[in-house]
Amino acid sequence: MGQHPKITHRNNVKVSGNGSKTMIFAHGFGCDQNMWRWTASAFEQDYQVVLFDYVGSGKSDISQYDQEKYESLHGYVQDVLDICDELQLEDAIFVGHSVSSIIGLLASLERPQCFSNLIMIGPSPCYLNKPPYYGGFEEEELHGLIDLLDKNYIGWAKGFAAMVMANEDQPSLAEELMISICSTDPVIARQFAIATFFSDYRQELAKASVPSLIIQCSDDVVAPKAVGEYMHQNMRDSLIRVIDAAGHCPHLSHPDQTVELMREYLGTLD
Amino acid sequence: MDRQLDEAPCGFLMLSDNGNILSVNRTLLELLGFDRYDLINKHMNQLLTKPSRIFCQLYFFPLIRHENKIEEMHFSLQKKGGEEIPALIFANRHKKEGVFVIECVLVPMHQRLEFESEILKARNIAAAALKEAAETNKELEKVLCELQAKQKELIKLNKQKEQYQERIKRELDLAKNIQGISLSTPFSNEEISISAYYQSSNELSGDMYSFYQISPGKYGFIILDVMGHGISSALISMSLRSLFQLLIMKGATAEEIMAELDTQLHLLFRNGDGIKHYCTAIFLTIDTNTKEIEYINAGHPPALWIGRDTEITEFKSTIPPIGIFEDLTFRKSSFAYQEGGRLFLYTDGVTEAISANTLNLLVKEQEPIHAIKEKIVHFLKLDEEIGIKVDDRCFLLIEV
Repeated sequence: MGQHPKITHRNNVKVSGNGSKTMIFAHGFGCDQNMWRWTASAFEQDYQVVLFDYVGSGKSDISQYDQEKYESLHGYVQDVLDICDELQLEDAIFVGHSVSSIIGLLASLERPQCFSNLIMIGPSPCYLNKPPYYGGFEEEELHGLIDLLDKNYIGWAKGFAAMVMANEDQPSLAEELMISICSTDPVIARQFAIATFFSDYRQELAKASVPSLIIQCSDDVVAPKAVGEYMHQNMRDSLIRVIDAAGHCPHLSHPDQTVELMREYLGTLD
Repeated sequence: MDRQLDEAPCGFLMLSDNGNILSVNRTLLELLGFDRYDLINKHMNQLLTKPSRIFCQLYFFPLIRHENKIEEMHFSLQKKGGEEIPALIFANRHKKEGVFVIECVLVPMHQRLEFESEILKARNIAAAALKEAAETNKELEKVLCELQAKQKELIKLNKQKEQYQERIKRELDLAKNIQGISLSTPFSNEEISISAYYQSSNELSGDMYSFYQISPGKYGFIILDVMGHGISSALISMSLRSLFQLLIMKGATAEEIMAELDTQLHLLFRNGDGIKHYCTAIFLTIDTNTKEIEYINAGHPPALWIGRDTEITEFKSTIPPIGIFEDLTFRKSSFAYQEGGRLFLYTDGVTEAISANTLNLLVKEQEPIHAIKEKIVHFLKLDEEIGIKVDDRCFLLIEV
């Protein structure tokens, strides 16, 4: 534990691995640090690996959730900066999934000395179509998504309970499942969804001062390939790599390929 | 696919881990209006509305990969023509012939969804109401806080007021003492004997008496009652007293004295914005050499002369109180007396407490005047004990 156990506790920060350089992994909307379980461990041999949950997600201290603070992504940016301060991170590699790519970018604009590189998985600066910009979604479609979030949380709670029952003979596994991905508080999830999907940070892209890698799935309905290309074109020192896959979570569906692309990119640094 | 599954009363889908459709049953095809060949090897997104596609990317696929099982997830299917069908999805992920497949059961849920929508609407209303209540509560707490601060302030002010009242009371007591001291001191000699009583209602009195030896054998007396009680009446009576002392020492006549007092009252209230204090008074001289009493009674209760034969003569008022009308003409009256009688001067506070008959009987008593005074005072005290509000009282008993 550091000198500021408050932040470590608040954001359920987990530090592992060996290495002088740090990789900090930031989960996307609706999930928590468990989504990195098949990718982060691959870097533990060469890097100090930092995992955490945003306030309101996973095993974070939910009592620290402040509706006003987390109304926009800046509340989450502050979470990242607080962790960087507590761990005294410098020149870290920030790995962000989905909305966390933008959170990482905003954090790097505010505190450039903390980050040496950004790795963005499925990023989007703006989900709404704002012609000529193509974000992928019309407004009512995003409202439809919020509506689905509203209508689903009861079902999940039931699903989790059933799974715990099924693993009675392995209590430790049952416990892990209970706190598994997507166990976010429904009210918080809704606010996070609104902060994420109705945001527009396109103007921030040109300000990027830290080199970045964009990992894009060839067929991603959440962050379409055209959006990844837009990011790449508007950010200085950015690289884009496409994984031939459908989906928005290549680190879950194609962990090996994702790790390989990240390693390859990290190899070109130094 | 076996016939039972193909015709089961629910939709069935088998997906690859990537979400590509491996097989689909006839129930689902008929529900959505697709042909089997439209869907095989296409992504599941083909069957979903756009919000549901994102939702599946965010939740369905990550969840199924982690937990290998999904229960009661809700999203919307889309018919070939575009029409939306809300559905519940149950899914399992397991290995089949070496690769992971996802098997899904889909149940349309039009009516249940309506019900859920209602519940959600109610929840949102309740949440809004709760929020409003919380805000109202916050507002109330603020008001309460302010109220407590106000109350504190009031308590402080009240304390200040009490201190102020305490001070005022001390001042009034002092003023009352001064007023008492300023009254003439009764005396006796071979010609005349004076006994006096003076009691203010509560704080300061508008009653006043004074006497003075004008020349050997000649004495001047005044008794007056300024309308009302309290500070203003007391100040007026004090100012009249000073004037009286000055005038009588200068040897002013009875008419001059009364006229000057009258003028003084008018002067006092010249700029009084209509406020007027009037005053009833008797000025009286006793000349023991000529055995003559001269007096002017302006609106005051009659002075009583009790002769040696106990016959009572009243020196009644002949003019209105002073301080009301300008240009009053004062004319003194005279009375020749015989030695051995006594004179009783009083303010109306005395006759309010003791009836005229009783008073007449008391002053007639064949006793020394100090004994009579004690009796009258005794009656006044009795009245004070039962009285709710008492007037200022004073009287003079003079024996010649």
